Amino acid sequence: MQPGLSFEQAPPISVPFRFFLTAPLFGMAAGLLLLWQGPAALASRWTGVALALTHLIAVGFMLQAMCGALLQMLPVAAGANIWQPQRVTHLTHAGLTVGTLLLLAGFLSEQALFFRIAVPFMTVSLGAFAVIVLFGLFRTPAKGPTIVALRIAVFGLIVTLSLGATLATSFGWQLALPLTEITHVHAAWGLGGWSLLLVAGVGYLVVPMFQLTPPYPGWFARSFSVTLFFLLAAWSITRLPLQRPDALQAALACAAALLAVAFAIVTLRLQGQRRRKVAEPTLLFWRLAMVCLILAAAGVALQQLKPGEGEDYAGTPFLLGVLLLVGVFMPVISGMLYKIMPFLNWLHLQKIGKPGLVVPNMRQMIPEPRMMMQLKLHLAALALLLGAVPLPWLVYPGGLALIASCAWLEWNVVEAARNYARFKVGLAEKLAAEQPD
Amino acid sequence: MAEERTVDGRGLMPPEPMELTLTALDSLPDGEELLLLLYVEPHPLYGILKKNGYTYRSQSRPDGTVEIRIRKA
Repeated sequence: MQPGLSFEQAPPISVPFRFFLTAPLFGMAAGLLLLWQGPAALASRWTGVALALTHLIAVGFMLQAMCGALLQMLPVAAGANIWQPQRVTHLTHAGLTVGTLLLLAGFLSEQALFFRIAVPFMTVSLGAFAVIVLFGLFRTPAKGPTIVALRIAVFGLIVTLSLGATLATSFGWQLALPLTEITHVHAAWGLGGWSLLLVAGVGYLVVPMFQLTPPYPGWFARSFSVTLFFLLAAWSITRLPLQRPDALQAALACAAALLAVAFAIVTLRLQGQRRRKVAEPTLLFWRLAMVCLILAAAGVALQQLKPGEGEDYAGTPFLLGVLLLVGVFMPVISGMLYKIMPFLNWLHLQKIGKPGLVVPNMRQMIPEPRMMMQLKLHLAALALLLGAVPLPWLVYPGGLALIASCAWLEWNVVEAARNYARFKVGLAEKLAAEQPD
Repeated sequence: MAEERTVDGRGLMPPEPMELTLTALDSLPDGEELLLLLYVEPHPLYGILKKNGYTYRSQSRPDGTVEIRIRKA
């Protein structure tokens, strides 16, 4: 029986859902671009195609889903309120969707005009999002390692955006800037300072909650985000003016990679101690991501320890890019969506319920076999794209598998949204039937 | 001495702990306290409690367990 308590903290369900419904479409676009370009996509990390691919996944898929999740997480998980949630949602969603398309057009056509539009548009929309979220995170009375990690992550997002805007400005107005160095720092903050710290901050909360593991050790959770932040900051400062890697830079990068490995190992160990030994889709997505994180971090460390070796080999950045984007962050996001969306459906359906009215179970929101199918498709995409480094023709089946995985994810996300609407109508009908005449 | 009722949500998958807590609060007599045990701070629950005239105190144990004691205001 549900008592007649009122719920008000979560923003409308349309706030996060529009981000979740859009993200897989950009993943599919990345697969299409791979099919269109074929092995040419692997030629170098500096081609327009490679940059377009990276941003389709990093901004179109990852940032889209992450912003949606964060807007929802803040009130529900951190007790932090967002200023003007509806307006911020419209602005951020437009910034991400149109912004990704502008970057795609700019990288593929190499026309300065697209970057000239993208710079003010994305700076205002995503910058406003980051500042408003950061403000909310500093105002919340909540404490703990999740809040600290989220604050640093959003600061990392601001650094990433600023450097991205600097790079796009130089493309748009042909400015002479040390583009290679700025790009390295931009990528490190985007992947480490923002994405990994967001995963950690959210993970401290959701891994024990949804996977029924013991909590992350307090000392680890408290020190991980702060240490990674200082390592990244020190590495960036030594990197920018010097232009060439030296021993200190290499040591800092290796330490950051080691820290990422530590996070992955702690997470895998906790998952090994979970109370229900059931291999459900979210757990498997997370485990895949943690294994790929260890491999990618080892790759980064190896590059630092043996500089020059493999530099002529264009496959190395593609390998690391696939491991990090397709192997780490896309699976974590997919796995999280399969928990977040059913939970939000349940929470919002509770709001319309009343005493005695049973709200459908979380398990009824997305069928588990369909989540498992997406996991298999994603594994196939990852294996084929990694295989494309020695065998470039594998980029075609790899691209197809990536499209299939993202299309399957979209289908599952649409199913969750449709089930919410269906159950909502069902509850309203039951309530109407119980009204006295 | 008021009797203490307990909901141990640590081994349960969301939203089970919240469902059990709301059900237990429904039959909680005035003056009695409900003890909820979790590994996280339940912010959505806090919002519901505040809106519906309950007070709560939360406290962390060294093993990461959060104890939330709820009673009618």
